[in-house]
Amino acid sequence: MMSYLRAESIEHALTLLKESASGAKIIAGGTDLFLQELPGHLIDIGFIGELKEIKEEKGQLHIGAALTHTLAANSKLIKDKATALAEASSLVGSPQIRNIGTLGGNVINAAPAADAAVALVALGAQAVLIDLEENIRCIPVDQLYSGFNCTSVDCSSEMLLKFIINTCEPGEGTAFVRFAARRALALPMANAAARIKITDGVISEAYLVAAPVKPAPTRLTETETLLHGEPAEESTWLKAELSAAGEVAVRGSLLRCSADYRKHLVGLMAGRALRTAASRAVERKEVR
Amino acid sequence: MNKETIRFMLNGEQVEIYANPAKSLLHLLRDDLGLTGTKEGCGQGECGACTVLLDDVAVNSCLVPAGKISGHSVITIEALSKDGKPDFVQEAFVEKGAVQCGFCTPGMVMSAHALLRQNTDPSPEEVKTAISGNLCRCTGYKQIEEAILSAAEKLKS
Ligand SMILES: Cc1cc2nc3c(=O)[nH]c(=O)nc-3n(C[C@H](O)[C@H](O)[C@H](O)COP(=O)(O)OP(=O)(O)OC[C@H]3O[C@@H](n4cnc5c(N)ncnc54)[C@H](O)[C@@H]3O)c2cc1C
Ligand code: FES
Ligand code: FES
Repeated sequence: MMSYLRAESIEHALTLLKESASGAKIIAGGTDLFLQELPGHLIDIGFIGELKEIKEEKGQLHIGAALTHTLAANSKLIKDKATALAEASSLVGSPQIRNIGTLGGNVINAAPAADAAVALVALGAQAVLIDLEENIRCIPVDQLYSGFNCTSVDCSSEMLLKFIINTCEPGEGTAFVRFAARRALALPMANAAARIKITDGVISEAYLVAAPVKPAPTRLTETETLLHGEPAEESTWLKAELSAAGEVAVRGSLLRCSADYRKHLVGLMAGRALRTAASRAVERKEVR
Repeated sequence: MNKETIRFMLNGEQVEIYANPAKSLLHLLRDDLGLTGTKEGCGQGECGACTVLLDDVAVNSCLVPAGKISGHSVITIEALSKDGKPDFVQEAFVEKGAVQCGFCTPGMVMSAHALLRQNTDPSPEEVKTAISGNLCRCTGYKQIEEAILSAAEKLKS
């Protein structure tokens, strides 16, 4: 017997998950799940208001897991304090996909180059999850992944509630860029996101993520280290581009592009993300 | 596969249908409710031929499980014409030659409606974004963009 149950609140969703025998699964927008083999029971969390909230609290943004890409892309708070995420969401699929597809689904579906997931990892986002016993766990998004198209979240017994991101402060900037064959409805051949902090013209913090490089959004740690303490200027971005392209071991794919081309693109995307993030970091300083 | 009663607002009227909640809204509309104006191109979110409005925003009905719409509002292309007369967006499509084979047209018109409901004065760039999830094999898009801009003009006057 197949059932489709609509949860009205977080508690209701947990109760429904508990009551359904194994084989129940959470569905949010369904844009990934509906194209896969469906489980026996679906628990729809897509209309739960609490899971769509965006709040700023004590220097952190709390962003509900069922927030759609359209709402994330248009949120003033997210645009201002976590720009890379708004940019990534604005570039997902098409308006129709963005109107229903959610941030949580983007992460849990664990496609290697999921756009919002790449931005969330660069932003240093934490995922907050709740299990059927109402235990809460909080884990950095990049540590959720456990393999190709796979996270450690069991969508029949655990629910992603929200993401927590430290808001961008003066001197900090973030950016997301992608490269694809078309501007809409095309998988990215490469995408990248950066979060950078500039103190007295020098890079004091840098997070750089690119995909698809490994099964999950990947931090380019060698390039991050290289950036540290360097002046925020063109010569540094050029070095970072070479380093990023050199640091990744990528495969070619018939669906996307050859390995060499992808390496080149990773460098290019890394450079673009860093330049934009850096210029935003500088602007932010001037505004305050 | 079991069925359940799905109650929702369809084109402004409350309907109740006994159907499999795991089938797509697209097939619910076409096969169970006889509304064949909404087209199936790819069946996987790539072409936009199946675009309808769910709670006033454009979605691909091929990706929406029928169970999801319980208690919500769906608007399809059938809602637009009144007494056999095309509405202002449909009229603009005809006037601007934005229809050739017509297969993408219902989806295009629904995406146009989604845009104009939120933005009565869209820029050409906003029009392009609004139809970026809709593929057309025939027209080359130019006439469709013109039709939507012209529909926006009509809305103003
Ligand atoms: C035509 C098309 C184009 C696309 N283009 C892009 C693109 O350009 N970039 C991109 O990144 N993605 C793209 N996608 C993929 C997809 O739309 C996104 O990944 C979207 O964000 C998924 O969200 P959803 O709510 O629809 O997920 P769902 O399909 O509802 O869920 C996906 C998975 O996550 C689980 N899940 C969802 N929410 C939760 C939760 N709160 N707690 C626990 N588990 C949960 C579900 O059980 C399921 O396993 C595209 C998809 C299609 C069909
Ligand atoms: S049929 Fe739904 S997008 Fe193609
Ligand atoms: S008119 Fe033929 S596909 Fe658009």
